[in-house]
Amino acid sequence: MRVLITGMGGELGTRITNLLEADERITAIRGIDGYPPRRRITRVDFHRVDPDDRRRTSHLIREFDPEAIVHFGVYEPHAHFGGTAARMGTLASAVSTLGAARACPSLRRIVVRSGIEVYGRRRGATLRPDESAPVEPTNVWGQSLAKVEQLAVEAVAGTDVELSLLRYAPIVGPSFPSPAGRYLRLPIVAVSPLAELPFSLIHQEDAAAAAVAAVHAPVTGPLNVVGSGAVTASQAVRRGGRVPWPVFGPGWRVAAAAAEVLGAPLPPHVRDLLVRGAGGDGARAVAELGVEPRSTSEVVDQLYRWAETTDVATPTAAVTR
Amino acid sequence: MSDLTASTAPGARTLGLLRRRLRGSYDIDDWGLDPELIALAEPFVGARWEVEVDGAHRIPGTGGALLVYNRQVGLSEPWVLAHGVRRTAGRFVRTVGLLDVAPLGPLLRRFGAVVDRDDEVEGLLRAGQVVAVPLSRRVEPGRPGSLDPRRIAAARRAGVPVLPVALVGHEATRRWRVVVGDPIAEAAPPPRGRRARRAAGRSAAGVDVDAPEVATAAAAATAVGRILDDAVPATWWQ
Repeated sequence: MRVLITGMGGELGTRITNLLEADERITAIRGIDGYPPRRRITRVDFHRVDPDDRRRTSHLIREFDPEAIVHFGVYEPHAHFGGTAARMGTLASAVSTLGAARACPSLRRIVVRSGIEVYGRRRGATLRPDESAPVEPTNVWGQSLAKVEQLAVEAVAGTDVELSLLRYAPIVGPSFPSPAGRYLRLPIVAVSPLAELPFSLIHQEDAAAAAVAAVHAPVTGPLNVVGSGAVTASQAVRRGGRVPWPVFGPGWRVAAAAAEVLGAPLPPHVRDLLVRGAGGDGARAVAELGVEPRSTSEVVDQLYRWAETTDVATPTAAVTR
Repeated sequence: MSDLTASTAPGARTLGLLRRRLRGSYDIDDWGLDPELIALAEPFVGARWEVEVDGAHRIPGTGGALLVYNRQVGLSEPWVLAHGVRRTAGRFVRTVGLLDVAPLGPLLRRFGAVVDRDDEVEGLLRAGQVVAVPLSRRVEPGRPGSLDPRRIAAARRAGVPVLPVALVGHEATRRWRVVVGDPIAEAAPPPRGRRARRAAGRSAAGVDVDAPEVATAAAAATAVGRILDDAVPATWWQ
């Protein structure tokens, strides 16, 4: 199977690539991203292309004629880029990749990275929507993901191509660039103890495993990929040994400004997560992809374990020995 | 030895529980229910309401169930029902009707309250939870209120039993009685006609009046009324 991966330069994209490289059923892999991969890759034909460069992206996709496209060229605001750059990059990447997909005669499957943010967190909404819940995003990140889903559905309309929309819970992990993870690791974390609802997370490794499983599994439509269980922001902060700082109403503005100064911006979708909560019924993904994600509390514990340091032998010591 | 001392020392359990709260190492489920917080609040709930439960054995020990209960003002009933069922059947009860406004909404979610939505109710039932839905406050002769048939439809889709529950007591009183009835069998569709539909308990926005859940909702409301009639002691004017 020939697989094309967009967003390969990101942590998640690179990890998916490594897993696909180890899969004997994959005969050829081509990667596209504006940034080089974060780990060593062995048998991938990588092309560094700006997401805005539609002509080159289309040419590379058509020339490769993939059987499966793994579209992970989706950029969370304040993970790598600021809000506007992330939104524009996500849209440009989706338009060029999914637009070119229609011209690939061998294409059989498209796997798209989305998120549970597409459900939104309106007042009175369910905390654990399943895949049949309406798409009603309440923040810019959710709207970007909903747009990508819409473009993907339009790209496969009237064709035999199977489309899997992986709606991930916020992806967090020891080395994953996530604004939620970065914020929760601050030494003092602003929370709303009286107003907060629980949220679920997914570990970066489970997210990658789900994407690879979706390349092979005959699954169509949306799938919630969510870690079991939930935590509240105050609980997560205390699990990590940080100091929860209660804030209310306008206090969030001050907290967001302070967090930004400390290098952990608090975009609206992360604030929504910490206050309004977020979750999803991931039973279908577990059943159909065969990937059992680790629990949310485990993900939180691993997030904080990253901060621990490990002593390694210095070069001098190694030479002496 | 030290573990034994710690576990038998007075207040050790509460101390351990508080320590876990401070460390954040406790569980909250996907809908926000916090079993440890419920355990902490148990003595206070017990001091406010004294609940006697009949028929708790009818509530399944595992798997989902939909409890249909009556209410008057509706402030005490969810607490009474949840407390009674937890104490006698060992199950946590999700009471439908949460007002999703902070700080009340998030706090009540910790005690098992959930929003009144089809997807929330169905998701809980599918996940094997016990969900309690109240009848409407409007009382008609022979019936303690009506039930939205969409809740019955959610129970049917999830394949869980529907149990009528009568709550006998008043907001101001301490003593309450909870009587759990036999599961409601799926009823035949109601006869056509406006009067018949009204008798069937409607408020079925978006539900076909001929759908079996409309009749089952009416049957559930009638069953609650019947249990209430049996449970409430007759007064001198009856």
